[in-house]
Amino acid sequence: MAQIIEARAVSKRFRQHRRFPGFFGALKTLVTAEYTEVEAVTDVSFAIAAGEAVGYLGPNGAGKSTMIKMMTGILVPSAGDVTVLGRVPHRERQANAREIGVVFGQRSQLWWDLPVRDSFELHREIYGIARPRFDENLKSLSRLLDLEPFLERAVRQLSLGQRMRAEIVMALLHDPKILFLDEPTIGLDVVAKDAVRKFLSRVNRERGTTIILTTHDLQDIEEICPRLIMVDHSRLIFDGETAKLRTALGSARRLMLEFAADPGPLELKSARLTSDDGLRKHYLLDRDDVSLVHVLDELGDTTTLKDIALEEPNIEEVIRTFYQRRNAELPLR
Amino acid sequence: MSVYFAFARSAFLTQLAYRNEVWANMIGKLVQVFARVAIWVAIYGGSASIAGVSLEQMVTYALLGGAVTGAIRYESIVSGIGQALRTGDVAVWLLKPASFPLYVLATELGRAAFRFVILVVPTVAVVAAVYGMLPPASPFHGVMFVAFGLLAYTIIALLSALFGLVAFWLLTSFSLEWMMQAILNLLSGQLIPFWFFPAPLAVIAAHLPFAWIVYYPSAVWLGRLDVTATLAYFGLGLGWAALLAGGVALLWRKASTRIVVQGG
Repeated sequence: MAQIIEARAVSKRFRQHRRFPGFFGALKTLVTAEYTEVEAVTDVSFAIAAGEAVGYLGPNGAGKSTMIKMMTGILVPSAGDVTVLGRVPHRERQANAREIGVVFGQRSQLWWDLPVRDSFELHREIYGIARPRFDENLKSLSRLLDLEPFLERAVRQLSLGQRMRAEIVMALLHDPKILFLDEPTIGLDVVAKDAVRKFLSRVNRERGTTIILTTHDLQDIEEICPRLIMVDHSRLIFDGETAKLRTALGSARRLMLEFAADPGPLELKSARLTSDDGLRKHYLLDRDDVSLVHVLDELGDTTTLKDIALEEPNIEEVIRTFYQRRNAELPLR
Repeated sequence: MSVYFAFARSAFLTQLAYRNEVWANMIGKLVQVFARVAIWVAIYGGSASIAGVSLEQMVTYALLGGAVTGAIRYESIVSGIGQALRTGDVAVWLLKPASFPLYVLATELGRAAFRFVILVVPTVAVVAAVYGMLPPASPFHGVMFVAFGLLAYTIIALLSALFGLVAFWLLTSFSLEWMMQAILNLLSGQLIPFWFFPAPLAVIAAHLPFAWIVYYPSAVWLGRLDVTATLAYFGLGLGWAALLAGGVALLWRKASTRIVVQGG
């Protein structure tokens, strides 16, 4: 498959005018030109092939939106380069714009005063979409996301969930090759989130639209994106299959064996002993292919065994511990 | 181009959705125009003419001035552009294959067309029926009035866009709206026609772009400019419009590059 998005050693620094506190500080701010530099993206590289669905995950301020803005041509990288469909986005912003669809969870692109259908009509004019294609897309997409009941209603009268569904449909009307979504499920209730997720994975599967999605909701990624890119403190820290994240971040399942009588030191091949309190022994299962059956098999005689607990760290916990560990290592800023 | 026509049309139709506002506006507008005319009637107080201008001419001037400035809401262009730049909503527009300033102007022209038909024409007709209104000085002046009227809309729209863009650097559009209103009241001739201005001020005011918004359209209708002067000042007005359009394009490019490079 051809790579349609490539980021090579991309960095983005923002210069912020330094402000001094207080009244005299404000005066000083007016006459000085001191800047502080903030690095939002540092040396990030990845390539995305046509038809992929990639989740871009990171905590607030990790540089997710900045990266999306560079791929859509709103921001220019400070170093490195980005190509989207063979173009440099900020140099050919309008040509790029015709081939991508963008949804911002926090900014509406619909016309506030107009009925949803009229917003779509204006979108058709802006992108010069041929009438038959437009009608066909509108019909199939609105059926999938159940837009029909409120197509004639003004956008300002819609609920957040309805509005978000309309935003996503609009971004797809001109058959974009890539769909960028910046926190599309933010503020939605469980039902609306579910509808949006199902719809997006269907669009990716059936229309072959490449999807890049930023979020801090892991479930978005687990349900839509087989591939995950994770960033933290502006740097890329993981790029690979979502399912393999756990192994990659080095968190293993925890196993606890409790015995009625102390069997003495007990080393196992299938699990690594981490602490031994005599009656209670704690192990880590590093390998994914090792199951409880293997452990019990290896133990052989289980008559003295009183209790077993296998803890499966969920992906969210894996990431939380990862961030915490990382934050502890990094100097405060 | 059809895109911007679509924006204007949709803005025109959106206005229909606010019917109550239309009625409230019409009553407000009517009171305003009546008041302006009543002031002139009081000032004349029975004398046939002041400084060579008859009361009838003055009433006509007041009505025409209201017709041009009554339809356009320049403050919505100023705040529309200013706000989009400040809140960063303009980023959404950088993602569309269409121009944001042209979108704002097209939208406001659509609304202005609606107000012209629904508000301006009826109020002018009512007041004219009560106080009387002079016809254009000649067919030539009548035709040129239409041309000057369109130019007036163009200039006021471009001026507002310019003020709106300046808001991006000053981080306030509210004070700019007030400033623009004050300037327009005085220098467009809306409050007092230039022929009542002291000589040096009148000459300066007559050559600033604001003069084309109220003063020249009305003066042309009344036949105060002969054929040569009418055409000359139309040309000069076009020059101002071109200059303003250049200014808008330049500031827009600067503002959007700044957003693109710095992230607004």
